[in-house]
Order: sequence, then C-alpha cells, then structure tokens
Amino acid sequence: MYLLWIELSRVGTMFNFMTEKAIKEAGKVIEKPLVQMIQIKKTFSGIPANDCVDFTLKEGSVHGLLGENGAGKTTLMNILFGLYEPDSGKVLIKGEPVKIHSPLDAMNLKIGMVHQHFMLVKTLTVTENIMLGIKSTRTPFLDTRMIRNRIIELSGKYGLDIDPDAKIWQLSVGQQQRVEILTAIFKGADILILDEPTAVLTPGESEDLFSILRELRNSGIGIILISHKLEEILAIADEVTILRNGVKTGETLVTPSTTKQELTRMMVGRDVLFNFTGKDVNIGKECLSLDHLCAIDDRGVQVLQDVSFSIKDGEILGLAGVDGNGQKELCQILTGLRKTTGGTIHLYDQDLLTMTPKQCIDNKIFHIPEDRQKSGLIMDWDVQKNLILKNYDSKSISGRFCLSEQRIGEQADTMIQEYNIKTPGREEVVKKLSGGNQQKIILAREMEGDPELLIASHPTRGLDIGAMEYVRQRILDQKANGAAILLVSADLEEIFQLSDRIAVIYNGRIMGIVSPDAGISKIGMLMAGIMETENVGVDA
Amino acid sequence: MSNNLYIDFMISLLAGTIRISIPILLPALGQIYTQRSGILNLGVEGIMIIGALSGFVGAFFTGSLWFGVFSAVVAGLLFSLIMGFLSITIKANQVIAGTALTILGTSLASFLYRVIFGIRKLPPIIDSFPSLNFLGLSKIPVIGPIFFNHNILVYLALFLVFFTWFVLEKTTFGLKVKAVGEFPRAADSKGIRVGLIRYICVAIGGMYAGLGGAFMSIGYMDTYMDHMIAGRGFIAVSVVIFSRWDPKRALFAALLFGGANVLQMRLQSIGVNIPNQFLLALPYVLTILVLVGVSKKVAFPSAFTIPYSRNSK
Amino acid sequence: MNIIIKRSKTMAKQIWPSVLAIFFALLLSGFLLFATGHNPLRAYARLFDGAFGNLNRFAETLVKTIPILIIALGTSVAFKCKLWNIGGNGQYTVGAIAAVAVAVYVPLPYFIRIPLSLVASIVAGMIIGGGVGLLRAKMNANEVITTLMFNYIIMYFLSWLVNGPMMDPEGFGFPQTQLIPDQMKLQSIIPGTRLHFGLFLALIIVVVAFIFWKTRTGFRISLVGESHEVAQASGVSVQKHIVLTMMISAALPAIAGWIDVFGIHGRLQENLPGELGTIAIVVALLGGLNPIGIVFASLFFSALVVGGSTMQRFEGVPYSLVGIIQGLVIVFVICRVVYEEFKEKRRVKQLVH
Repeated sequence: MYLLWIELSRVGTMFNFMTEKAIKEAGKVIEKPLVQMIQIKKTFSGIPANDCVDFTLKEGSVHGLLGENGAGKTTLMNILFGLYEPDSGKVLIKGEPVKIHSPLDAMNLKIGMVHQHFMLVKTLTVTENIMLGIKSTRTPFLDTRMIRNRIIELSGKYGLDIDPDAKIWQLSVGQQQRVEILTAIFKGADILILDEPTAVLTPGESEDLFSILRELRNSGIGIILISHKLEEILAIADEVTILRNGVKTGETLVTPSTTKQELTRMMVGRDVLFNFTGKDVNIGKECLSLDHLCAIDDRGVQVLQDVSFSIKDGEILGLAGVDGNGQKELCQILTGLRKTTGGTIHLYDQDLLTMTPKQCIDNKIFHIPEDRQKSGLIMDWDVQKNLILKNYDSKSISGRFCLSEQRIGEQADTMIQEYNIKTPGREEVVKKLSGGNQQKIILAREMEGDPELLIASHPTRGLDIGAMEYVRQRILDQKANGAAILLVSADLEEIFQLSDRIAVIYNGRIMGIVSPDAGISKIGMLMAGIMETENVGVDA
Repeated sequence: MSNNLYIDFMISLLAGTIRISIPILLPALGQIYTQRSGILNLGVEGIMIIGALSGFVGAFFTGSLWFGVFSAVVAGLLFSLIMGFLSITIKANQVIAGTALTILGTSLASFLYRVIFGIRKLPPIIDSFPSLNFLGLSKIPVIGPIFFNHNILVYLALFLVFFTWFVLEKTTFGLKVKAVGEFPRAADSKGIRVGLIRYICVAIGGMYAGLGGAFMSIGYMDTYMDHMIAGRGFIAVSVVIFSRWDPKRALFAALLFGGANVLQMRLQSIGVNIPNQFLLALPYVLTILVLVGVSKKVAFPSAFTIPYSRNSK
Repeated sequence: MNIIIKRSKTMAKQIWPSVLAIFFALLLSGFLLFATGHNPLRAYARLFDGAFGNLNRFAETLVKTIPILIIALGTSVAFKCKLWNIGGNGQYTVGAIAAVAVAVYVPLPYFIRIPLSLVASIVAGMIIGGGVGLLRAKMNANEVITTLMFNYIIMYFLSWLVNGPMMDPEGFGFPQTQLIPDQMKLQSIIPGTRLHFGLFLALIIVVVAFIFWKTRTGFRISLVGESHEVAQASGVSVQKHIVLTMMISAALPAIAGWIDVFGIHGRLQENLPGELGTIAIVVALLGGLNPIGIVFASLFFSALVVGGSTMQRFEGVPYSLVGIIQGLVIVFVICRVVYEEFKEKRRVKQLVH
C-alpha cells in the first residue's frame, strides 16, 4: 500500500522494457546465457550458505537475485566473483565451463562487481583506484594520463559525472557507487553484479542509478541485481531468481502481472502477516527531550543540526532515514559516548549531557547497537560473559571483590531460557551462534536492566523473519512496560509497524515528525530531504 | 686558530652524521615498503645483525666486498621471510613475531660467529669499502670532505631514497602497496594478491635491512661484533613513523637521529663537559617526542598491523 | 569432582601447545648443535644438570625465576589489554634505582625504610607506566615504541647515576653504588644458597594475579583488551583503563627490581636487567597469559638461562643457543595456530560428509 509511489514509477518504465524485449527476442534465435551456475554448494563452518543453487543470466538483461538477508545471495555472487570457492558445483560463462579462483579470474572473464561496501581506497584518487585493477600499458610504470582521459570519456558517455582527480573520501556515497560502476565498465565487463546497490541511496539517487543501469543493459551488458526489496526488483529486473535459506525457491520472468505477494511467498515461504500485541499502551510523562541539539562528527563536519524531539514513557518514536544522516552520532550522544556542540538533552529532570556512559547505564538508558558484532558483543567470549557486560558490577553478579562465577552462570541460564537463545550452552563462544541468537543475547542484556529509555538501532537488520518478529514483539513488550523507545531504522515497514510517531532525519536535521497515518509517500519525500513547499522559505 | 678548529669540528661532525645515519636510513627505507603494506616489523634489529654477519662472512671468505653485500641482502631477504610467514600466512601478532625474530637473529648471529671463527684473542678484520674520490671532488675545501669523501654504499643508500620514492609513487607496484596497507579487501577485490604484495614488501624490507647490517660490518667497522647494531633497527622503525612513510622525509629523519649521536661523540672527544649518557639518550628522547608529535595527526595506514583473511565473513 | 576433572582437562588443553612448542624448539636447536659438531643430548643433559643438578643449582634457578616470573606477570596484564608493553627492562631498572636510593640515602629506621623503599619502587614503576599509558590514551603514541625507547633512556640514566651522583665514594671508581645496609637484605631461605625470601613475595604476587582476573577491575581490563567499542558502550572508560593497565603492568617489573636489589645485587650497576625484559615477553606468551602457566614458563626459561652458562662452560656450546631456543619457542607457539586451523578444517569436513 505505502509503496505505491515506487509502483507508479515502475509502470512508467515498464512500457520501455516490453518493447525493447520484444525487439531483442525477435532478432536472436538461441543464445548462450552469459552466466550459468549449476548446483552450487558452499558451507561455512558446517552451515550451508548455498545448497545446490542454479542460476542463469542472459545477455542484455537485468536479473534480480532476491532473498532475505542471510539467504545466500551475496555468497552465491562472491562465488561467481571468485571471492569464495564453492564446495561443489559448476560455473559456465558464455557456455564455457570455468574455474574462478580469484577476482582476477573473474575480471578476466569480464565479470565486474559493485559491492555493498565499496571496494575503494579512500586515500587514493578516482584515477588511482581505477588503475589498481588494470594492467598498465607502461608496466611497471603507471599510465595515469591515459587512464584519466578514458575516465572522462566513459563518464561522459554514460552520464556518470565523475571527477577523475577527486580523492574518494571527498565524494558522496552515490558518486562513489558510480566510481565502482565505472571501474567495472572500464575493464570492459559485460557481466555486472550489484550487491544491494540502493541500500545506501536516497530514493532520488536510486532512480538515477536505475536509469544508468538501463543505459548499460541497452548496450548489451548483463546485470545481476542482488536485493531484498521487492519493489526494486519489480521496477528494474527482467527476470528474478529467489533464494531462501541458501536454497533456490523460484525463478520467474518479471512481467507487469508479477505480484509482490507471489515473490514474497517464494522469499519467506509464507505470507508475512505480522500481528503484534501491545501497541495500544497508555503513554505517560515525558522521558526524553532534545532541544536544538547540534554535533560534529570525527572529521569535524556538522552531523546534527538543531535536532529537537521528545519521547514519552510507553511511546515508540521511529527515527526514519537513510543510513549516515546522523543517526549513529545521535545514538552515541544519547548513550554518553559523544560530545555535543550545542543544545540540551534531558532525561526526566536530569541533564543528560553531563552524564558519562556509565551514568547513562545507571540511569537505565540501554542501547541495542546498530552493528551488533562490532559494538554489541565480544565475539570471542562465551554467552554468559557477554550477558554480564552491563551489570557485572551489580550486586546480582559481583561480590565484594570478585565476580561470582556461580551467579554469572545462573543469570545466563535464566536469560537463555527466557529469551529462547538457541545455544549448546552458556559457555559457547558467541561467534558460533546465528545472527538471530546473537541479537537475542543483546536483547536479554539490555532489556533485563528494565530500561527507562531504550534505543534500538536497526534492531532487526540481517535477521531472518522469525527472529525479526521476535525482536519486534520484545520491543513492544518494553513499550508495554512503560519504557520510552527510540527506534532507529531504515526499514520503513518496521518503522510503520512499531512507531507511535515518526521523525524523519536527513542530513542531520529532523525534517518533520509525523503520525504513521501520514503515509509512505510523505515519509519518502522527507527522507530524500524534500520539505513541503510552504516550508522551503524557513529552511535556512 | 680556534676558527680552524671550529671548521674541522664541523666538517667531521657533518661528514660523520652522513656516515652514521646510513645504517638507520637503509632499514628505514625498507620498512617504508613493509609498513605501507600494513606490517610493523620489529624484527629489523635481528635481520640487520644477520645481514652484518653474512656480509662480513661473505666478504671475509671470498675477499670480495661486493659478494659480502650480496650475501647480506640475500640473508636479510631469507630471514625476513620468517616474519612474513608468521605475520601474513599465520596472521600472528606482529609485535610478538618481531620480538621472536630479533631474539632469534641476535642469538643466531652470535652463535654462528662463534662456530665459524671460534674464540680468538683478536677479532678477524677485513678492509671495508674505501672512500670514493669522485675525480678529486673530495679535495674541494669543506664541501669535499663532507659530501664527497664517503664509500660507495653511502651513495647507494642516497640513490635508494630516490628509488624508493619512485617505486612508491610512479609504479603500479607502489600503488598496489598503498592499497594493500590501506584497504586490503578492496585491493583483493581488484585482483591484487594481498598476501603476495605483503610478502614482497616484507622481503624488500629484509633486503634493505640486510644491506644496512652489512654497512655496519663491511662499510663502517671493518669487523663483526655481537652488539654492533645497537638498537638501530628499532630507531629505523621510529624513523619510518616520524617520516610518515615518505622516503625523502626518512632521509631527513635519519640525518637528525644520526646527527644527535655524532654530536655526542664529538663533543665528548673535545671535552665538552656534558654527561655523555644524556647525549646518548637524546635520540631516544627525540624519538618519543617525535612519535608523540606525529601520532595525533598521522593517520596510520588503516590496515596497519591487522592481518588480512579473505574468508572471514 | 566433575568440575575438577573438567578444569584439569581444560588446563591440559592450554598447556599442551606450549609443551609441544618447547619440544620442537629443543629438537630444532638439537639439529643445529649436531650440525655444528656438538652432541645435543650431552649438551641438554648438561643444561638440565646445571639448572636442577643439586640443591644449590636448583636454588640458583629459583633465584633467577623470581624476576622473570614477576616481570612476565606484569607484561601479561598489558597483553591481556592488547597493550604491548615491551619495557620490562626499563621498569625493572627504575624499581631498582628507587629501591637503592631509599635504602642508601634515607636515614630512617629499617622497619620503616624497607617498606618505604618498596613503595618507592612501585611508585617509580607506576610513573613510567602511567606516562606510557597517558601518551597512548591521550596522544595515541604507540606503546611499543615508547616502552622500547624508555628502555634505552632508563639504561643511560642508570649509567649516569652509577658513574655520577650515586657512585660509591669508596668504590675505587667502579661504576656502582654503595651496598645497601646488610640488615636490610632479604634473608636466605636455605642457608648456603642465594635463595631468599623474595620467593614468597613472588608467590604472593602470583596468587594476587590469579585473583585479580576475577575482580571487576580485571574484568574491565580484559574487556577493554577485547574491544574498545564494546567496553565504552558498557560504561568502561577506555582511556582510564589503558593508563591503569600500564601502571599495573609497569609496577610489577619495578617490584622485581626491588626484590633483586634486596635479594641478590645489593647495589646498582650498569645494565642491571640484562635481557630479563625480553625473556619476560616470551614467558608471558608461553604461559598463555595465565598466572599459573607463567609460573611454569618462567621456571623453564630461568633453567635455560642458568643451565645455559653451565653448558657453555663445560660443553663449549655458545650461550647464545639459549636465545635460539627462546626464539624458536615463540615461533612454534605462534605456529600452533596452523595446527588448530588444520584441526578445525578436519572437523568441518567431517561435518559435511
């Protein structure tokens, strides 16, 4: 329903697709597919990431590779790109069986890949980055001038608009992505893999990307688009292959009659019908209030500007926005980890800005961090030790001098049961658990402290549907307990399901705070930084 | 008269500075490659002493100084491969691996020296590289003795400053080294073999360090002694950080550190009454100051001391 | 009962790689001995005999174990926090300097002077360690380089002291200080040997270290060592704990310096610590950063050092062989990773098939 605005743009482009396809199919009889992957198997420490997967890419088409996070999409493409070697299975490029042992092999076969995290060296220039992957004509010396000219030429041809002398760190995310695409084309790639390309883009930038992709497809390049967003697949793909839990669950042509329901069923194995309880809770007095908060990031760039909002007990405020618009810094400030440059924050009557991280915890501010493996857990420690990170010095764990091993164990056993953490035991090392169970450890730790304010940053990112549902329900349980909750997420579905009010952040500013009834198109506009016309004059 | 003495003093000070900074400069240039590629090699000290011994043994038994240089470079390369193996293949902690290499190198050199030469009253001696005269350029007053009265290894080292800069800035290899140290995964995705580049950089570092060691035994001292490297390997490591991985600045830094050392010796020899321990400690104090000064500003190569593993998800 | 069995099983698992590493190091060094015309078995036998052959030699081995053990415990505290304190030598030296300074120059009754000198040593160590910690925490100055540089600086400082202000006026110009008063020296445990009461102090420190890792502070330090980010998020001040860790880590070598002055040296001389600091790094690693493991590792290394000089005297094997064995032991301890990866691969393979 709320994805209607993207739907609309799709219908517009679909006409073009149809005619082009028709022309192509009439002109060619039988063509060998660009890529054929047959019965691919890959296991990581005993857990299959790809289990007998087949995949085919035709020339001049966009092939969507659809699936939930962790379904094995990226693994499959990393195999095609030579980053992983499959345990078994065959890969054919243009009909020829090949062994791809390294990205170099892949590139020699004219396969290019744009990773989700850009593979660009930030301290080098665009030209230098592109030279990295190319054999110099003047080996062993660099042929900077020639490469630079060619970049300008290609950049003009496909409308990429790239300055060859800019250092990567000076470029915006969208520009960096175009550098990645340029790198691939530069080497004459006719197979282009894009891993979740829109995850970091605003809707507007996504549209630009799509038109570049169409341009490329029309010049005969086969494109593989890894995604978990249905609307994206429907908007641009000609065909789609669907993975679930490492297994291929479907392959279909994308036609105007293809529906989201159809794809969803193949993706998750059932219709997703979240039904949460506990949304109707009495909202209490004001817990957290921010007033004209300003902050700079590590590079000294302004990341938060005049941010004001408040959250009441028992209320969930959704903070929607594309990643990197100041959400991370805001969470750091609220947990005492970052200094501000202006404004005030109050937790009830207390000044939060004077609190150390420790005092924040003592005042029952808890945080489900964005990157659970990096800032939430010690991956090399066992479950029980990870569970005491926030309360190791409380009476329940620690005696006069020493931590009590017995009490650590007892707490772990209770939490493992209560939060349904699937682990061989409390002494299992956390890195051996699944993402969902890792997240449950964090939930248990943060929620058992009875939070007054709970900050949940992308709490379901990378989880399977079951775990996702569980986490969302737990968040609503906290709401029912009267906690004030700040839900930071880029997943609009999640924001809409849980939030009482939605604040949209863009470029460090709150673009507006609206009720979920305002609808997706309004939020989408705000996320892209577009204020309503009457507000334009105010925007200083 | 005092004026003449002053000039002589300055000449010997400056000429000495150049000479004494070479065994710091050579390993430092090598470590620029190594550290740029993301590896801190604290085993330089051990590699240098191995180089000093191999250089001396090579020259002693063949009578050819150049064969001595050759064997020092090869020995440095081979010995540094242990560091490569531990820090790249095994992904061990680089401080530990480097310490192991230093202990091993120091002991092995001492052991082998005793095995090869036995116990003697007088140490074996060779004639080290003679000073070049450059068509009489060394006869130019003041300038001559300072700049044109050194042996060939000194000029080789100065050439290597330019050479190192050229390799890092103007060749495809240099670009790859920088990428590997900064963002190995990106380099890998572009088809650059991270492990190989790092191995090569460690090996180049070993060759330079071996040459630096040989300079001590067959370019400076005429003989081998167990403690002749005396922390120069460690100074080289800090010179690299001080120079922010730039060969030209490394030359400057090496001269600075060498200069402090020579000044202390010269002042002592003319009887200036400063406790010599303070002058001896000065380079080390300077190193700390410099380190503190640059550490806040310098962005280390992002992947510094971090092993790279492709399959870690 | 079960717990005891389980504990000893995990213990054995931890010890096994170190034992293997020692075995391979001895084996390879044995080849080197053989190739250079020595009889490795006889050399090792002599080495063992030199270290444990009779009560006197064993006592000597224990005397040497004391400083190695304590410095290694200090080093291990820093290593646990992923701080690479390689400044054991310098920290040992400042401890010794402070000890002698108080013992010789402070005219207070002995029962006050002795504890006062110990406090002075600890404070001296903490100042050095705290300085390094501050430079690291505030300025991001790599502690590997700073501790290393301090080793040299302190070495020259000691050299200046024994040649200048603290030189024994009746010492005929030898670079050494006066002896500390006899009444202050640590008494011998076994008459006729040099083994002194410092051994008990060392054992107390082992027990304290063992308990330390179960305290809140110990927990915080190991948390900071695992991840700065998680530690910060858990309300632990990373900077404060880096400084604290370095202070503890440097105080222990300083105590070792105090013990050696009061137990054996009795005075300051140039280059007092020799290669204790480097040995301690190796011992900390070999002992798996575990206090009990470090006890055994330090005993082994002290035996090498003591037995090594006997071996040189009677078998003509250069003493530097000891360094070769030490170096190889670290290399092999590091290499066990390869073995473990191999085991893991095999395990995974079995799972697949």
